[in-house]
Amino acid sequence: MTVTTARPSSWFALVSPIWIVLLGTIVIAALLSDKFLGTTNLIAVLQQVVIAGIVALGMNIVLIGGHFDLSTGSIVMMAAVFSLLIGPAGFPGVLLAVAVPILAGMAVGFLNGWAVYKARANSIVATIGMQFLILGGTLALVKGQHVRAEEIGPAFTAIAHARIAGVPFSVIIFMALVVLTSILMTATVFGRHVYAVGGDHEAARRSGVNVDRVGIITFMMSGALAAVSGVLVASLVGLVDPTAIGRYEFPALTAVVLGGTSLAGGIGRPADTAAAILALSVITNVMTINDYQYPLQLMVQGLLLTVAVAFYAWRQSRGGRT
Amino acid sequence: MPEPLLLQLQAIAKNFGGVHALDGVSFGIAPGEVVALVGHNGAGKSVLVQILSGVFQPTSGDILIEGKRQVLTSPVAARAIGIETIYQTLALADNLDAPSNFFLGRELRKGFGFLDKKSMAEQAAIALAKLNPNFKNIERPVRDMSGGQRQAIAIARAIHFNVRLLIMDEPTAALGPHETEQVENLIRSLKGKGIAILLVSHDVRSVIDLADRIVVMKNGRKVGEVDASSATEDSIVDMIVRGRARDIAA
Repeated sequence: MTVTTARPSSWFALVSPIWIVLLGTIVIAALLSDKFLGTTNLIAVLQQVVIAGIVALGMNIVLIGGHFDLSTGSIVMMAAVFSLLIGPAGFPGVLLAVAVPILAGMAVGFLNGWAVYKARANSIVATIGMQFLILGGTLALVKGQHVRAEEIGPAFTAIAHARIAGVPFSVIIFMALVVLTSILMTATVFGRHVYAVGGDHEAARRSGVNVDRVGIITFMMSGALAAVSGVLVASLVGLVDPTAIGRYEFPALTAVVLGGTSLAGGIGRPADTAAAILALSVITNVMTINDYQYPLQLMVQGLLLTVAVAFYAWRQSRGGRT
Repeated sequence: MPEPLLLQLQAIAKNFGGVHALDGVSFGIAPGEVVALVGHNGAGKSVLVQILSGVFQPTSGDILIEGKRQVLTSPVAARAIGIETIYQTLALADNLDAPSNFFLGRELRKGFGFLDKKSMAEQAAIALAKLNPNFKNIERPVRDMSGGQRQAIAIARAIHFNVRLLIMDEPTAALGPHETEQVENLIRSLKGKGIAILLVSHDVRSVIDLADRIVVMKNGRKVGEVDASSATEDSIVDMIVRGRARDIAA
C-alpha cells in the first residue's frame, strides 16, 4: 500500500524562508567585508550564537506548545551564579557546578509550567513574574555584586573553551542540542503531543493527550536549557553580572519568532530557530566588523523582530502555511 | 432474559459550582441499538457527552458498562473500555496531518517513545480509504482539508479501535446532503455490527429516522423517553419545548 504524500503548494512551503534569509545574510556579509569568511571569524559567529541559541531552543519548544517562557534570561543568570558559587573545581565540584544549576532550572520550569498549565495563568505575565522573582532572589543571594569563583578548575573552563578540530566545545554542545531537540520534536510521541497541544489543546485533551504533563515538561526543558546556557556563561567568562538578564533572552525571542514559530503555537522547528539565531549572529558580526555601534545593532535587531512578526502574520492572513 | 445493556446510566448528576447541569439522568443503550438524545442547547446533552467520554466526572450517579460499574477518569479510560466520541467540533488538531490526528493519544511506537510514522500513515490511509475512496494527500495539515474530509478523519479514528459505544455529537449538522447520507449509511452499518450508538442532536428531524429510541432532555433532566416507531416529530418537539410528555392516548 503506497501512501499519498503531500505535494507542497509551492517550493516556498518546502523550505522555511529563514534558511533563505540565512543564506542571504551570509552572501551580503561576505560582500560587505572580506574578513567575514575567514575561519576565525566564522567560528566567532558560531560561538556568539551558543548562549542565546540554547535559550531559544527551549523557548521554541514552549511556544510550539502555545505559550511563552519569558523567564529564561533570569534562569541563565541564576544558573551562572550557582555554578560559580558552588566553586567549579576538582571533584565533585565541577560535576555539582553543572548538575545543580540545571536541576534548579528544571525546578523553575516546573513552577512556570504548573502556573500556566494547572492554574491556567497567562504565560506571558506568569513567566515575567517568575523573571523578577528569580532575578530578585539571585541578587539577594549575591548582595547585588558581580560574582566570581574562588577557583575555577580546568575541567570547568574546558566546557566552553576546549576545541575539537578547531571547533569550540560550546559550539558542539549547541549543535548537538539542535539535533536532539529536532529529533525530540519530529520523531517522538512527546514531540507530536507538544504540537497537538499547541495546535488545539482541547482536541488534544479529548484525544487522550495528557496536556498538563506535556506542557509542564516543555517548561522544564526550557528551564533546563536556559540553565545549560548559564553554566556555559560561567565557564566562558568566569564572572557574572547578575543584572544583565536581557542580553540573551531578547535575541532568543527574536530568533524564535524569526524562525517562523507561530505565536499561537503548534507550528515551528528547532532547526529553523537555530538558522534564525545564526542569521542574527551574522548580521551582528558584520556590523561589528564594519564598526557599527551597539545602539544601531539593537535597532536592526528590533526592526527584524517587528518585520518578522508582521511578515508571518501577513502570510497567515492570506491563507498560506506558516 | 433480555440481553444486558451495554451502557446504563443511573441517576447521573453534575454540578458546576451551584449550577445543576445534570440532575438524575438515567437511561440505557443495548448493543446494536441507536438512541437519540435530543434537547435544546443548554439542556445538558453536551455535559452528558463529556461525562461519557471521560472529560468530566459526574458529581453523583453510576455508569454501568455491561452491568459493571465503571469510573471514567479520563478520555483514555473511556476509550479503553470502547467508548468513542465524535465531537461536533471534531476535536482535530488543525496543524497536524490526518495520520497524526487519527492516532493522536494512541500513537504507534517503535520503542523508546519514538513514533512509527510509516505504519501510522499506512493504517490511516487504509482506514480513510474505506470511508472515502477519493481521499488523497492525507499527509498535510487538516486545516487545508474540506469539511467532509475532516469529518472522515474524526469518524475513521472513532471506529478503528474496537468501539462498542459510539457517541456522535450533531453528526450531520455541518454536512451537505450527500455526506449526510453517507453518515446515515455508516450508522446503519455500525448498528448491524452490534455497536451501540448515541446520537446527540438539537434537531429531532435529523435523527428520528435513524433512532430506535429517543431520549428527551430539558434543563439537565430527562423529560421523556419514547420508541422512535411510535413517536412523531411533533410530539417530540412538543416534549423538548414543554419539558413533559403531552397527555394523549397512545
